[in-house]
Amino acid sequence: MAKEILSRGVTRRAVLGGMAGVAALSIAGRVSAAGGEAPALAQLAKDGKLPPLAERLPKKPMVVTPFEKVGTYGGSLRRGLRGSSDHNGILRMVGNQSLVRWNLDFTAVQPNLAERWEVSDDATQFTFHLIEGVHWSDGHPFTADDVVFAIEDCVKNTELYSSTPAQLAVAGKPVTVEKIDDYTVKFTFAAANALYLENLATPLGQHPTLFPKHYCSQFLPKYNPNIEADAKKAGVTSWTELFRSRCGDIEIPSRWGNVDKPTLDPWVVKEPYAGGATRVVMTRNPYFWQVDTEGNQLPYIDEINFGISQDVESLMLNVISGKIDIQERHISVLANKPTLSKNMEKGDYRLLTLVPSASQQCQIYFNITHKDPAMRKMFADKAFRQALSIGINRQELIDIVYFGQSEPYQAGPRPTHPWYNEKYARQFTEFDADKAGAMLDEAGYKKGSDGFRLRPDGQKVFFSIDVIPTLYPDLVDALELVKAHWAQIGVDMKVNTIERALYYTRGDDNAHDAAVWPGPGGLDPMLDPRDFFAFHPQGSRYAIPWTLWYTSNGARGEEPPESQKKRMKLFDEARSTADLDKRGAIMKQIFDIAAEEFETVGLCLAVGGFGIIRNNLRNVPEKEPDSWSWPNPGPAMPQQFTFTS
Amino acid sequence: MLVFIAKRFLWMIPSLFAVSFLAFVLIQLPPGDYVTTYIATLAASNEIVDQNTAAQLRERFGLGDPMLVQYFKWMWGILTRGDFGISFEWQQPVSDLIWERMALTLVLALSTLIATWAIALPIGVYSAVRKYSIGDYFFTAFTFFGLAVPSFLLALVLMYVAAVEFGQDVGGLFSPEYENASWSFAKMVDLFSHLWLPVIILAVSSTASLIRVMRANMLDELPKPYVTTARAKGLSEFRLLMKYPLMIALNPFISTIAWLLPNLISGSVVVAIVLNLPTAAPLLLQALMAQDMYLAGAFVLLICALTLIGSLISDILLALVDPRIRLE
Repeated sequence: MAKEILSRGVTRRAVLGGMAGVAALSIAGRVSAAGGEAPALAQLAKDGKLPPLAERLPKKPMVVTPFEKVGTYGGSLRRGLRGSSDHNGILRMVGNQSLVRWNLDFTAVQPNLAERWEVSDDATQFTFHLIEGVHWSDGHPFTADDVVFAIEDCVKNTELYSSTPAQLAVAGKPVTVEKIDDYTVKFTFAAANALYLENLATPLGQHPTLFPKHYCSQFLPKYNPNIEADAKKAGVTSWTELFRSRCGDIEIPSRWGNVDKPTLDPWVVKEPYAGGATRVVMTRNPYFWQVDTEGNQLPYIDEINFGISQDVESLMLNVISGKIDIQERHISVLANKPTLSKNMEKGDYRLLTLVPSASQQCQIYFNITHKDPAMRKMFADKAFRQALSIGINRQELIDIVYFGQSEPYQAGPRPTHPWYNEKYARQFTEFDADKAGAMLDEAGYKKGSDGFRLRPDGQKVFFSIDVIPTLYPDLVDALELVKAHWAQIGVDMKVNTIERALYYTRGDDNAHDAAVWPGPGGLDPMLDPRDFFAFHPQGSRYAIPWTLWYTSNGARGEEPPESQKKRMKLFDEARSTADLDKRGAIMKQIFDIAAEEFETVGLCLAVGGFGIIRNNLRNVPEKEPDSWSWPNPGPAMPQQFTFTS
Repeated sequence: MLVFIAKRFLWMIPSLFAVSFLAFVLIQLPPGDYVTTYIATLAASNEIVDQNTAAQLRERFGLGDPMLVQYFKWMWGILTRGDFGISFEWQQPVSDLIWERMALTLVLALSTLIATWAIALPIGVYSAVRKYSIGDYFFTAFTFFGLAVPSFLLALVLMYVAAVEFGQDVGGLFSPEYENASWSFAKMVDLFSHLWLPVIILAVSSTASLIRVMRANMLDELPKPYVTTARAKGLSEFRLLMKYPLMIALNPFISTIAWLLPNLISGSVVVAIVLNLPTAAPLLLQALMAQDMYLAGAFVLLICALTLIGSLISDILLALVDPRIRLE
């Protein structure tokens, strides 16, 4: 799949190294600001209500090459959100203004607010050179002080963040940020942090550019001794609550709930995302610091209008009647594709292809650390898991549930990735019910009188698999088929459809027999290796106690077996290895061990989603990665989207 | 009568405490809490939440306290400061969130009530008086149709037709330009130009059942001797109907006022979500799903208060309208 987006001669090799091409780009990205600006802003500047364009832009503003052509100003872009907890829907469209960003192909890190940087050989020191003369959306200059303030005063404030966010701490110690001069900052980590630039390009890397010092400092006790009184006046109980409601955080709704907070985004909040809002409106940032190749200030589009739908069906209705300009979020499930394809002419839109960065569409996690010793013994039996895997008729499942658009797959990087591991990806995917039965017989699970198998202790082989129907309806359909396949080999399973919070509570309590979830790590194996070893405290559902042991450095959870500990050590090593070839070699060892242990049972390769783009909306790539780390469509730079009419 | 009303008012106070406590317990019954849901939401986009951060959130929101302590803290805030607490999800005081929504909900509920009665009463009377006429059969068929079609389905079909065939904007209660505007005459006009669609959808099913109730009651009353007597004394047919049988037949309408208010709020949840109405129902549902307990609790409390007020109103009205009811 990766070849679908690697269309511009950037090889996958450059992906994780992330350094290639950076220097060339930052030099090319400098022209003088002689271009135009939006008519409304020009009028304001003429009336003296705004400084002239040249004073609002940096001396050498960042130049963005439009995807198709230089655009024209104007228009309001319509997009849909859901009523609750959909703040990341705004983040993905607007809030991608970090120090660095991903390129369109998701292969390399590029300059953004930092025009260039140096990394020390041991990958502990990162020195960033900020673009000079960038302004916050209220006209206040953005400098090294803001970056130092954001990390040292906000993120490292233990009352605000009782523990430092994972990206900013290595070896249990938080990063130190120093100001070298007004436009240079140095990040120093306690140990090697080779992945920092890639992490910085993901949404969770936005902390350094999130908090404007001149505004947010008024909500910190260090700068404002009367803060408790102010908090009381604002009707909240503590200053930390006031800080969060006024300055937000990377991914909480209140980030988009304050119209006064200055930002570096192309659009700023005009009508906030607050409880009970029926829409969110964002309007252009007059101080936005990027221009197109002719020097015109971005963004082209005046306004973004996020309508809030309570119901996906009414969002679909808006799409097919042409009332949405670009949308993939919420509507991208395969079941909607026929309807959306049929109405392309009526809604005047074209389809957008999403290339999944995930690996597995439906990963089955048997709880190898089950509380019940008999169940634990059964799930921990590799032969049992292998037998169940070959007892699944994957082709039938793919044809029925995924309209034939996938292939049998276990786990690991996607087939086009340079670290692809054939054995890990394909073993035990051949459907063979007879062999599966024979393997179960041999493992000691003999058939009883009713045709179902019995455990050695005489109990029936029966377990339930947790699934959240509201989040992933296709997984329920897939499991129903698996249930039928397993019934043929004498194994009884219950598809346990439960509510989201219960799913998590059961996972946290280690109370589940098994659970399903899409398996990540197909294109970004370093960023989310939860299926390769016990890495993710909520996600590696085959052994939550092992992940707790790993994340707490052995203080909590349960000590994992040697093969897990070896992989944990290897991954820590890979994380601090700057050299891509060496890092790849380490990761390949992890995949070999994981293939041998066969802890998770996968069904099929993750299927691509899709979206729609109105025909009059241009400069939008029609194929883009679908990932949280590449928070589509943000890295496609919506600021250079433009309307033709 | 005044003593009766005062007594009823006093009884409402312990009742409110009881229902508020029950509501609070019920909201907390599902497994997990707001923080679990928050983590689940983030993880849906494959995000990791640090265990320390989760513990810190629980502490910040006081979720670690025993339920009774949480309840008393909450009630104390409401009683002493009118403070309904903070919505976890939105980091906003709950009272900022609920009032406008409750106001719009009442507008919708009352409009629907008026529309329902305005249609159901005359048709019910007509059906009873002209029993087994063509008109009666027509309305009977209509009522069965109205009862059978789920209102959310009706909403979806009407929306589809309006949006796809006529290109009309149907979601919501306001045009885009008035959505976040402050209240004005123009906004009121805009509201009423959007209100008719949800009102019709919500009125259809309740109208149908009310027509049947009205018809049955009237049929009970019409053959009674007092009607014959009045008719013999030469009273005109219309005055006769209005004066006696109708008053008595109204009894079930009035005594169900208490249920109407909460029914219109909870019964309209699906329709409000489908039609994207900015009423209390969708926000309440969201709050319940996110386990945003103070926000959900405030809504449930208000709905309970409305029920109590509604039953007081129906008792007073019944005493006034039905000559058979005495306070002793």
